[in-house]
This record gives sequence, C-alpha cells and structure tokens, in this order.
Amino acid sequence: MSRFLARRLLLTLPVLFFVSLIVFSLISLIPGDPARVFLGEEVTTEALEVLRKQLGLDRPVHIRYLYWLGRVVRGDLGKSVRDGRPVLDTLLQKLPTTMELAVTSLIVAWAIAIPGGLLAAWKRRSAWDYAATTVSLAGISIPNFWLGIMLIYLLAVNQRLLPPSGYVEPWVDLGRNLRLMVMPSIVLGSALAALVMRLLRSSLIEVLGTDYVRTAHAKGLNDRVVVVKHAMKNAMIPVVTIMGLQLSGLLGGAVITETIFAIPGFGRLAVDSILTRDYPMVQGVVLFAALAVVLTNLFVDMVYAFLDPRIRLEERPA
Amino acid sequence: MKRAVLFGIIAVLIVTSVTFAGAAPRRGGTLRVGLNADPPNMDPHQSTAAVDRQVFQNLFDKLVDLNQDLEIVPMLATSWTISDGGRTYTFRLRPNVVFHDGTAFNAEAVKYNFERMLDRSFGSNRFGEVNLVTGVTVVDDLTVRIALEKAYSPFLAVLSDRAGMMVSPTAARRLGRDFAREPVGAGPYKFVEKRPQERIVLERFDRHWDRTAGNVERIIYRPFTDENARLANLRADELDIIDQLPARDVPAVRTDAKTRLLERSGLGWQGMWINVTAAPLNNKALRQALNAAIDRRTIARVVFGETVTPGNGPFPPGMFTHNIPANSRLPERNLDLARQKLREGGQPNGFALTLKVTPGREPQQVAQVIQSMVTEVGIRVNIEIVEFGTLLAQHDAGRFEASLLGWSGRPDPDANIYGFFVTGGALNNSKYSNSRVDTLLDAARILTTAEQRRRAYTEIMTILNDDLPYLFLYWPKEYKTLGPKLQGFVHVPDGMMRLRHVWLNP
Amino acid sequence: MRRPADAVLTGGLPAEHAPAPRYGLAYLGRRYARNRLALVGLWVVLLIIGTAIFAPWVAPHSPIKTNFENLLKPPTSGHILGTDDLGRDIASRVIYGTRTSLLAGLISVGIAVAIGLPLGLLSGFYRGRLDDVLMRLTDAMLSFPFLVLALALAAVLGAGLDRAMIAIGIVFTPGFIRLSRAQVLSEREQNYVEAARASGAGDGRIIWRHILPNIVSPVLVQASLSTAAAITAEAALSFLGLGTQPPTPSWGSMLNIAQAYLSTAPWMAWWPGIAIFITVLSINLTGDGLREALDPRLRSV
Repeated sequence: MSRFLARRLLLTLPVLFFVSLIVFSLISLIPGDPARVFLGEEVTTEALEVLRKQLGLDRPVHIRYLYWLGRVVRGDLGKSVRDGRPVLDTLLQKLPTTMELAVTSLIVAWAIAIPGGLLAAWKRRSAWDYAATTVSLAGISIPNFWLGIMLIYLLAVNQRLLPPSGYVEPWVDLGRNLRLMVMPSIVLGSALAALVMRLLRSSLIEVLGTDYVRTAHAKGLNDRVVVVKHAMKNAMIPVVTIMGLQLSGLLGGAVITETIFAIPGFGRLAVDSILTRDYPMVQGVVLFAALAVVLTNLFVDMVYAFLDPRIRLEERPA
Repeated sequence: MKRAVLFGIIAVLIVTSVTFAGAAPRRGGTLRVGLNADPPNMDPHQSTAAVDRQVFQNLFDKLVDLNQDLEIVPMLATSWTISDGGRTYTFRLRPNVVFHDGTAFNAEAVKYNFERMLDRSFGSNRFGEVNLVTGVTVVDDLTVRIALEKAYSPFLAVLSDRAGMMVSPTAARRLGRDFAREPVGAGPYKFVEKRPQERIVLERFDRHWDRTAGNVERIIYRPFTDENARLANLRADELDIIDQLPARDVPAVRTDAKTRLLERSGLGWQGMWINVTAAPLNNKALRQALNAAIDRRTIARVVFGETVTPGNGPFPPGMFTHNIPANSRLPERNLDLARQKLREGGQPNGFALTLKVTPGREPQQVAQVIQSMVTEVGIRVNIEIVEFGTLLAQHDAGRFEASLLGWSGRPDPDANIYGFFVTGGALNNSKYSNSRVDTLLDAARILTTAEQRRRAYTEIMTILNDDLPYLFLYWPKEYKTLGPKLQGFVHVPDGMMRLRHVWLNP
Repeated sequence: MRRPADAVLTGGLPAEHAPAPRYGLAYLGRRYARNRLALVGLWVVLLIIGTAIFAPWVAPHSPIKTNFENLLKPPTSGHILGTDDLGRDIASRVIYGTRTSLLAGLISVGIAVAIGLPLGLLSGFYRGRLDDVLMRLTDAMLSFPFLVLALALAAVLGAGLDRAMIAIGIVFTPGFIRLSRAQVLSEREQNYVEAARASGAGDGRIIWRHILPNIVSPVLVQASLSTAAAITAEAALSFLGLGTQPPTPSWGSMLNIAQAYLSTAPWMAWWPGIAIFITVLSINLTGDGLREALDPRLRSV
C-alpha cells in the first residue's frame, strides 16, 4: 500500500509542475505593462516604479518563475494589487461561500441524477429511458447563464417568489440564505445532473450485464434487491471517481452562476480579478482551482485503491 | 374654560412633538450603503479608485470641505489666509481634535501628511496634486503655513478631497503602506472591518470634535457591481441609500412611493479621445467632419434617457465656468458641413476609424449609436472592446485612434481641464499640444478672480472647439436614491455621500 | 492505471476492446435513422446551417441597422421578436447569430482536432518520454476548470471572436489528445498492425493507412459533441464580455445586454437563449445518434 501511495504521489508531481508552469506563463503573457495597466487614471511615475518592484517585473522571466514558485510553496501567493490584502486570505475567505453553493448544487444534481439514472438503466429502452436520456441531454444543452436569467425573470421579477440575487451568510440569516441559494443551485446542479445521469446510466447498464449480477438473479433474488443492493454500489464507483471532474465542473459553473446571482464567492472572484487585471489574484484563483482538482483526484484514487485491492496491484502501463 | 385651555395646551404639545419627531435627529441605528464597486484601497494617499472616496468622507476629516454650492467651507482648518500673490496659505487649525487612535491633531500632523504625499520613495498617488508645495512650516501647535512654488487657485479645492484628508501620523508611521488595512483618521466614524467584495464597516467615534455628528451608530458599505441587484436591494429594504442609478430605472424610481430620488448635475464629463498624432484623425478637417456628423442630443436620449445632459465642454452645469458659450452651446448635427470637411480633408468618400471602448453596456451603446450616425457620410467605425487598464496603457503608448473615456470630475474647473490638454499632461491622452492653450491654462491657475479665469477659459474652449482633440458628448447627472428611513441627507454635486449628520427613522 | 474517469473523457469508449467494425455509408445511414430523436436532431442542424448560409435572405431586416425611434418595442407584426435597446430587429439578429455560433463551434473544434489528433497519435504510437511528458501536461491542463482557463486565456489573448475561438480550441485540445492516444493504444496491439509490420510497412504507412481510419469514428463523435460545447463556450465568453465585439450579433452578447432590461423588455432575453438551446441540443442529439450508429457496443452493453 505504501509503495502504491508513494508511486501515485510521485506521478502527481509532474502534473503539479506543469500546472504551476501554465499558471505562471498565463499571467506573464498578458500584453501591456502590468503596472500601468493596473493603476488607472491618476498615476505618477513614482507609483509605477513602486508597483513594478512589488510585482517583481524588473527581473528576467525564469528568475521570476523560481522566486514565484518558492513563495507559492511557502503559502505566499502575493498580495492583491487592488486592495493590498494577501491573496491567500481572500481566497480562503471566499471559499466557504462557494463551498455552500457547491454542496447545495451537488445535492440538487444527485437528487435528479441518481433516481434518473437508476430508472433509465433499469427500465432500459422504455419510455422512462428515452425521457431520461432526453432530459439529461436537454440539461447539458441549456446554457446555464440563460437558465439563470430566465429563472430570475420568472421567479423574482415576474412573480416575486424569491429574491433576485445577492448573498447573506447562513449564520446571519439562514432563511434568507437558503432562499437565495435556490435558483443558483438549480442552475448549477442541473448541468451537473445531466452529466452524472448519463454516466450513471451507462455504468449501471454495464454492471447489470456482468456475471456477478446474473448469478444473483439466478439465485432468485428479486429484481429490485439486485439492482439497488448489488448493482448500485458498483455503479456508483465511477460517479464517485469522477469527483474531481465534478468539482471542476462546479468551479467552472460557479463562475457564471455567481456572476449572475451576485454571490461573492470564488467564481465571482475569478471573473472580477480577470477583468480588472489583478494579476496576483488571478494567479491565486487559477492555481487554487487546479490544485483543488488535482488533490481531489489524488484523494479519490487513494480511497478507490484502498477499497479495491485489484487496482493497487495493477501495473501502470509503462 | 380652564379645561379647554388645558386641552389646547396638550393638543399643541402633541402636535408640536409629532411634527418635530420627524425633524429631530435620532441617535442610533445602522446605515446600509450600496456602492457601485468594491473600494480597493483605504489609504487616501494611495487610493486611485473613485469609489474609495465614498468611504473616506466619513472616515477621514479633511482640512476643508465643500458645501452644496461647491463652496469651500472649514473642517479641520477653521480659517485661512492666502498671501504672497497666492503662493502662501496659512491655516488656523481646529483645537481639541484627536485621531481615532488618540493621537492629537495639530500642525505637526499636517506637516507629516504632506511629507508623506510628497515622499517619492513612498510613491503616493496624490503627488501630482500637491507637487507645487515647496514647504510646510509649523508656526505653532494650531497654525501651519504651506508654501507653493507658484500661485495655484485650485489649491483649496484639492484640499477638499483626498489630498486634504488627514491620516494619523502614529498609525501611518507604524504601518507604512499597510495603512490601507487599518486606516486611522479623524472623522466621525472609525474603521471596524473590511471584507473584500462583501462589506466595509464603520462605527461612531465618540471623541469626534463635532458633537452634532455621528447620529447613526454604524455604517455598512456593501458593493454591488450589478446595478439591478443594487436597486433591488434598496427596494427590498436591505439598503438605505445607493449611488448611481441606471438610466432606464429613473422613471420607475421617481414614481415609487418607497424610494426618494435625488438629482443634481454632476461634475464629470464623457466623450471621445482623439489621437491627434496618428492617422486618420491627425487631420483637423476630418476631426471636424466626424464632429459634425454626430448628434449629441440623440446619444443622450437613446442611451441614457434623461439621466445625462448633452454637452460640449468640460464644465457641467453647476460650475461657475459652465455658461461660457463655447462650453455650453450644443452644435447641431450638420451632414453638409461634415461632407464639406471630408472633402477639405481629402477624403470625400469617408474613411475608416477604430473606436476603442471599455466593457460595459453604456459605452458600447454610445459607440454603436455614433457608428450608425457617422456611417451616413461614409465614416466607417470599427468598435473594439478593450479592458479599462489595457486601454490606459494603449493611451500612453499612443496606440489608438479614438476611444470613449471620460472623467469623474472635480469641483474646481482647473482639475477638469488642465492635465488633459496641457502639453505633456499626465492625462493628455490625445497628445495634443498648443502653446497658446498651455499659456492660458497656466494663467487660469494663477489668476485669482472668477471673472479673470472665465475669460481665460473662454479663449481656451474656443480653440479646443476648433482643434477638437476631444469630442465632449455629455455630462452625467448625479443621482442618489434613498430608502424611506434615511433623513437629513444633503446632496452635494460631487457625488460623495456625506453621512455625518444624517439619521434614521425607525 | 486506467481510471474510470478516463472513460468519460474518451467518450465512453473502453480502450481495450476490439476496433470498431467499419460499415458502408448506406448501412450507417439506416442504423442512424433508427433513432428518431437523432434524426430530428440532424434535420434541425441542417436547418440551422441553412439559416446561417442564407441569412441575408431569411432575415426580415438588417441585423445592425439601428432605429432610434423604435427602441425596446415588444413583438409586433413588423418585428416578430421585438426590437432591442438600439432599435434593431431581434429576429434578424438571432438569425445572423447562427453564423457567429457555427463559426465559433467549427473553428474551435477544428483547432483542437488539428493539434490534438496528431499529438495523441504520435504520443500513443511511439510511447516513451514524449508520451509521459505529454500525458502529464494534458493531465495538468485538464485539472483547470474549463471556463476559468478559457476566461484567463481569452483575457490574455485579447477580446474578439477570433481570439475567443483560439482560447476555446486550446482548452479542448487535451481531450482530443487523450482520445486519439487511447484509440491508438488499443489499435497498435491488433493483429492487422502486426501483419502490416511483418510485410514491411513503415511507421508512417501503418499510422496513415491502418490506424487512422479506425479511429476516425470516435473522433468524429467527440468532435460533434465538442462543437456543441464550443458553441456554449463562445456564448459564455461573449456573455462575460470577452468574445464578439459590437455590433456583430452573437447570442451570448445579446443575453449580456438583455440582462439589464429584464424588467422592461424581457423578450430580449428569451430568443437568444432559445436559439443556443436548440442549436446545442440538436448537435448533441446528432452526435449521440452518430455514436450509436457507428459503434453498436455502446448501445447495448
């Protein structure tokens, strides 16, 4: 087990290296003098120089990369050029908000996808199946920003059922917080639901066709028991395994959803910092997002390997 | 008979108390303000964004302030004398003033503030506003003398904004550039916390010198970049006052019983920068052709409804220089003149032009309206959306032909024109250079009477209307929308929300 | 170690199975038509393509002609979908928007395939250091949430439809690298490859004549599904302000402007969104139908 662990970790390192390289070069490639670009209307040459030093722009690229990497590894992601606060502090502050949105969206997504996928696979080729497939395709096809705008119009502008946008912390006013989360969660969750439902359906179909399940049938266990107890457990594995992918989808979807619904979370931070050229913050946001996905994948692999010994013993293709 | 008198007295007392209950300031409550952006920097010496100034009004006291008519009134300075041909300012300071951290406010503190702004290694963004200061002398504890290199009429107006905001020397020395994270001023409200993109919280400062200030206990500023969300929150009673209303919401807000709309003309101007050193608009006749094909009234109506005033100069209504004819007269759209100028300029069939605009609905709409207007005489406009910061960099490098960018405006006319059209000016994006204009701009700063300055500006505007380094298009109006609870708010044209004397009804 | 996640990324095609059998075109057509939904999808796609090509004839008005006397009007007989904030006909703008979207979809995916397919092919065929490095690089790229990376890239490259298409193309490339590599990995072990090698065929010939034709179908399926995603992506970027420049009609930027007028002119928001939805859905249906028709194993496992 520990050999596997060490190996897996070792293989993650190059990925992390490339991630850092991508993030760094992304920001370095932006045209225009970053210091001037940031400071705005009223600026003096002195202020420009101070900012340039702060951003370390007076050194060659590869040196900057190494300095940057050194700082990042120690947890110093720089200071936001907009308000001088450490990037890491702002990121950590915004994270719980997006986490809440992610969790509620995940609940919505799985509440739709699991029963949907189950039904579709179980009653394969029936009306249920086609309906589910079409609904999930529709779910993937609806642009989530349009869905958001339409929901706001229908539920908040036309009929004042829900507040249109904004955010308040759960411990300040839980009722309002939950009401504000309804529409964003539907928007974010439905896109994810479609994806998960398709995956669950095909993996469940695969499992239902295996010998293991046929044997259970032969032994006389009734249909429902077979499906729910045996097949589901195995079919859920790929759903859990693509946790990293789901997280990636959630973070990406959060960008649009938080912008439309004025939620001050991670996604909103990404858009704002990119549009205002707050380089240290953009670096921090993008790096953080990629890191989260990589670590989630690693974690899931570990858990998966722990649970299923076959994986551990499999040799990786050379 | 006695009973009737008694009842009469009671009745009068009741009526009087009811009437004055609404009028008398009540202490207490939390005021919730909706801003249009998240203020990035709480250090007035470093701040660049206009929205920071909203919070500063209540956190920092300044040497002088503005009233509703844009006149200079005392604040930390109780009186002043100007001598030596406008080169020396002597201020008497208010006694018994302390900063939020207990540091005494005195002439030494004023001197420290100026030194901080002028320190080149600190790199203050106020440097350009106070760089004419050659020396600050402490005459005594409550008297300070400031010497300028040359006479500068707008100096007091400058001190009514960020450059005049006094920071605590103790805190500033201790924190340096990190002062922005723990700002300490002498205003009626002190800093409690700032959560980025969420809120800024201020709390009443009990030892403020103005005993009538600070009725409200706390002020919470919340940023709403989405204008719909801002208004929706005001309507839902989540906010008490908001800044900047979108044009199409003005009619509805006017008729809404729950909100009050305050309108004044603002201080800023908007229009089109033209790079006079690059083709195709380095040709004056072509600039004049472009100008003649534009209808300012239509732009104002289509994009903004009634929320801007179409204009043709840098001095909006309300400034004492506004009614200079060269500033206030609107040219009519004249296609014949446009075609004639095109021929004069050697492009009878029109020409192609790239117009850069910042992202955002209104600049794009203005650009598209202009585009469809000038296409009638053959001028083909290509719109390019460029992010604000990048646009500024391109301005610096001269890499643009025309762009839509304006100025938020300042109370003194000099600040609305000088840096933009003087040769080599920091804000002179068009790279325009005219020595006669330079002389007149400098003169207008030194001349001391309003009449003399108007004469100078009249001549400047006449020249600018002919040379057209910038096409002024409109003057945005200043709007504040109030919820039902807020009382006692005074609307000043500079758009700043001064909250020290307001109060909240329950 | 193959992760189940790979299955999602390679379009659901398990890598170890035998190569897809090849069919004649007529046979494929019939198999495809058995799925009625996919057939509907195909017809709609063709309709959309036709609209894009014949837009000047189909559209009742010019999409960029403004009319300052006719702002924000609800649907009437003269303007069946109403007018927008500058008095332009919404129906015409939606119709011309098909051009922008289809262009964005095709070019972005074209870039992704043009870069991804050869890279994946070579990587899977030759293995070795190149393969290792490339795989780690694609892993890294796939770790970024798609929209965040596309946003950042579009911001770096600048605004404009062409830059947005490049940004989206780059973001989709790793998916195609992975897909073609996975296909090559399974193909190269097949008997026919051994046979070809034994008869003296060089690497290039093997790749070109034997392997490539066998991987065309999954790539085609993936490409069609990616086109749908690319269209959504372009709309999202334009919605956020990084994409098409005014006054070019693009469904995404139309939605951006419509947001501000939701309470006064809600019709501005309905139609561009419906257009995106129908286009993306029909392409997805077509792609799904294509997948089922080309590879029977995926249907009935």
